[in-house]
Amino acid sequence: MTSLTDRYVAATLRSVPVARRDEIAAELRASIDDMVEGRSADGRDTGVVEREVLTELGDPARLAARYADRRLQLIGPTYFLVWQRLLVTLLSIIPGLVGVIVALVEATVDDNIGGAVGTGVVAAFQTAVQIAFWVTVVFAVLERVGAPLDLPGWTVDDLPDAPADRDVPLSETCASVVMLLLTIGFLAWQHVQTQILTPDGDRLPILDEALWTSWLPFLIAVLVASIGLEVAKYRARRWTWRLVGVNALLDLAFAVPVIGLLLTDRLFNPEFVQRIEWVRDGDNLNVVARGVAVGVAAVTLWDLVDSAIKARRSAR
Amino acid sequence: MVSEEILRTHLQELRRGTVVVASLVALRRPDYGYALLQRLTAHGFPVDANTLYPLLRRLEEQGLLTSEWNTEESRPRKFYRVSAEGETVLDRLLDDLAAVQTSVTGLIEGVDR
Repeated sequence: MTSLTDRYVAATLRSVPVARRDEIAAELRASIDDMVEGRSADGRDTGVVEREVLTELGDPARLAARYADRRLQLIGPTYFLVWQRLLVTLLSIIPGLVGVIVALVEATVDDNIGGAVGTGVVAAFQTAVQIAFWVTVVFAVLERVGAPLDLPGWTVDDLPDAPADRDVPLSETCASVVMLLLTIGFLAWQHVQTQILTPDGDRLPILDEALWTSWLPFLIAVLVASIGLEVAKYRARRWTWRLVGVNALLDLAFAVPVIGLLLTDRLFNPEFVQRIEWVRDGDNLNVVARGVAVGVAAVTLWDLVDSAIKARRSAR
Repeated sequence: MVSEEILRTHLQELRRGTVVVASLVALRRPDYGYALLQRLTAHGFPVDANTLYPLLRRLEEQGLLTSEWNTEESRPRKFYRVSAEGETVLDRLLDDLAAVQTSVTGLIEGVDR
């Protein structure tokens, strides 16, 4: 017989259980020959007909899977939901945790905050990839082996609560607005405060005065816009993806300049720093600045994740 | 008007189980793969070769078909025929097919258009 059929039969047999190979080979070959003979009875070129027949039989791997009664899927319906739930649970907790821990450890042994954050992000990403890979491998193996999981079946008691009519309670909005107002108030107060004075008895701003002509008005504008966002969120009754987007913009518009100013020593008033003995000592200013920067980054990150989780929940 | 795609999927679903019934009925008379394929097609059961050949093997493994190699003709061919067990299963399947037809008829008559 011609080589095309030989190659087709060989390709099909490659993934068929050894015990049945010879018989399947003989039968498949006979069937192909029958089909070619039947179709070239009207005088058509057997070469053309052979191609046609083999094309119709399709991908040898697919045909072999049908012979072996093997399903062509990585993770089938039996395991899919368990796999998905486990993966989502693990991915939503572990990579973030690992990333934060690695970044914190890195930040304490190395002076470079930016580098520490980068290392944390890389560690979180690598952890996520590892988790996704290994969980999927385990379930793919289970699918092939057909091992029963023996997990408790679904019952009506597993039903989640219906989404509340209002996800954003008034108390939460009020608390947020008050916090934002206090922050704005602090920015104004620190400029005119009289708790810590210069030796001459003059007031001593905590933050660098030069910022009033640059970043402080911008930060206050961002805070005012955040109050607007809280009101909009209350009116929308729940987190929407648009609110999540605006919230992310405002969060970053606040956190990025603050962290940048902290790390470049431009946030605090140098005179004020000089007045406080402990901060003045050794490397303490750097430690404080770095600690506050990590804190701001953590709070911002948490807010972004939290808003996305809530939006996803209420979108269901 | 529903798309061709949707219609095709539903027809495929409807036809899926009938290939087994048709094959078991046809193989009351022993036959080999390609000849069976042609008989089924001629009787209004168009079935793809890459579906039918593996199906025959599977039915044989389940004990519903028996097979025998025929080496008398120009090329050796594997002839399948329905087994006693296959005949029992076929009876049940045919009963059920008739029951489906009866139910559908009853439903159609019972529903005002």
